[in-house]
Amino acid sequence: MSRAVVLEKIRRACAASATAGLPDEMPEFPSYEDAASKFRDELEATGGIFFDARSSDELPEILSQILERTGTTEFYWESEEVFQKSAIPYRLRDPEAFSRQHLVFSYHFKGKVEFPLVLNFKPYDRATLAAVPVSVSRAPYGIAETGTIVHSVTPGTGRLLSVLPEAHVVLLSEKDLLMNSVEFLDRTQLGELGSALTLVTGPSRTADIEKTLVLGVHGPRQWYVVLTS
Amino acid sequence: MIRIRSGAASALDNPQLQKNMSAVIRTALHSRDNSVAEVANWETLRQYAHDVKEHTLARLDSYLEQLEERVVEQGGKVVWVENGEEALSFITRLAHEKNMTKVVKSKTMLGEEIHLNKGLEAAHIEPVETDLGEYIIQLAKETPFHIIAPALHKSRQEVSDLFTEKVNMPPTDDVQQITATARRILRAHFLTARLGITGVNFGVAETGTLVVVENEGNARLSASVPEVHIALMGIEKVIPRAADLSVFLKLLTRSATGQKITSYVNFINGPRRPEELDGPAEFYLVLIDNGRSKILADSFLRQTLACIRCGACLNVCPVYQRIGGHAYGSTYPGPIGAILTPQLLSEEEAPEHPYASSLCGACYETCPVKIEIPHILLKLRERVQRKKNDKASHIPLEKWSMQIWGWGMSSSRRFAWFARLMRAAQGWFLKEKGSRIELPVLNGWTRHRDLPTIPKKSFREVFKPEEKGN
Repeated sequence: MSRAVVLEKIRRACAASATAGLPDEMPEFPSYEDAASKFRDELEATGGIFFDARSSDELPEILSQILERTGTTEFYWESEEVFQKSAIPYRLRDPEAFSRQHLVFSYHFKGKVEFPLVLNFKPYDRATLAAVPVSVSRAPYGIAETGTIVHSVTPGTGRLLSVLPEAHVVLLSEKDLLMNSVEFLDRTQLGELGSALTLVTGPSRTADIEKTLVLGVHGPRQWYVVLTS
Repeated sequence: MIRIRSGAASALDNPQLQKNMSAVIRTALHSRDNSVAEVANWETLRQYAHDVKEHTLARLDSYLEQLEERVVEQGGKVVWVENGEEALSFITRLAHEKNMTKVVKSKTMLGEEIHLNKGLEAAHIEPVETDLGEYIIQLAKETPFHIIAPALHKSRQEVSDLFTEKVNMPPTDDVQQITATARRILRAHFLTARLGITGVNFGVAETGTLVVVENEGNARLSASVPEVHIALMGIEKVIPRAADLSVFLKLLTRSATGQKITSYVNFINGPRRPEELDGPAEFYLVLIDNGRSKILADSFLRQTLACIRCGACLNVCPVYQRIGGHAYGSTYPGPIGAILTPQLLSEEEAPEHPYASSLCGACYETCPVKIEIPHILLKLRERVQRKKNDKASHIPLEKWSMQIWGWGMSSSRRFAWFARLMRAAQGWFLKEKGSRIELPVLNGWTRHRDLPTIPKKSFREVFKPEEKGN
């Protein structure tokens, strides 16, 4: 279209501009002795809910607590891999479904949680996801300075699972907890992880009416982070 | 031609508006100040960001080409346009080709600048604003009042009335309920729209990443749900390195809302990839000039383009605080609007903008990238005056009076003589019997300010007899 015209105008405007190079000393960003507690404090300050599952194998118990708090009976897992890493005993209702693509893993129960859980499969499509009450995903990184979770779209996952549901649960390993965003950007080549990457800090929020804070405008109203070992 | 004067006068005479504005702006100022005070090296960060922007703007052509290359490598398409009409004709043609009749939009000031909604409507494409503030503004058929908080001027009562009238919401003063109504309506739009449009806060040249900063999740949805995502980006929004995002994000969010970071910072690297489960099949980056290359050509005024649209200068501005965003009559209000508008358009089209300032300098102090707004205002005033002087019909009254003033003030005898003359003549101009003078020639000045009467005796005259008495 007008590429040549616009570029030529810019080139002419910039021509013969003397300039110093880019600054090469990154200003200092804070780091912490106890990154996990800083992470927790910041996350809670934004309205997120933190669970510490580092010391024992209590993840299944925490997840059932979250189910209770969200008033639902179903979790949708980002991928088989994430579910298996959570070390929750399960069996498949339809083992063949594992070979099918585009599935979201869910489990149902009422009342007391009984293991092994029976897993169902649902297709990964807009209509299904729009009705998902709680989704679970694993974060590649967390950032202590701001209580932030890095959410990335990796092969076999999508963008919508973490944003459409009313509640979202994030699992993060303590070893992936970084001090600040400088560390994160040092470690990540943007674009290599996938087509979309989001820094998520707290539930969806707005203050557009009288600067009054309201949670859950478009994205999740409830946001849970579980720190694992 | 855009005039500020009459809009300002009616804003000042609107007690409801003044009430809505003052509390909200006070809150915004507190949040920003407290948040900035937590950062020990804030000044270092400002200078760093300033230096990055200065360097980038001087080499804008090569960084834009690099950005384009990276975006294309990732499967995106890049469209360069000279102005709003070209951007619109690209968007509407694409939508028509694909039979798309609705667009979900997240907040973009550039979209406002090019009158995107109007253009879409004219092409029978329904624009749906999905940011809560923008949605309110769209329902009210208004323009944004503030860069960051578009509906800042509306009370919850006014928003409730609007929702009751337009979308049949039962009246309420519960902001939660108003928000829930918007969520329900807009969610339905998200799930049916096939085209999403967002703005761009930063375009990273080295990685081809488009960064969109937000709190609600609507930009995330606009960029993820529809089949096609179009990102509108002003050519000045490119930054060379991903690493510098740490600095820019910290400066932006703390300046804008006082948050350490927003709920969502989206990094978009092209369309959906083959192994991903969702995301748009097509991604377009529209690079928009719309007057920016003209600003770029002046090596001093160029810094105007370093703006990261945090809106902090609006909140601290004593003029914006009183007259609000609509009085400016332009897309960008406040100090940044006062310098950007006459440059994006022309001095003739926005001759009052450079004067909508008391030159107090608060905007510069608060600007996270250290744009010298007061100096730019002076430079633009000079331009406006020069244009006036060039006109054949121009009578240089101001120049003459300044010359006379200078002549009078440069000698004590002449000064004393002038003072005597004024004292004798002031009776004609005394307003009522009071202590104020109103001069017909200086009406603009004396209407809102007291010019005290000149005492019967000058200081020297009072002082003399005392001396003799000693």
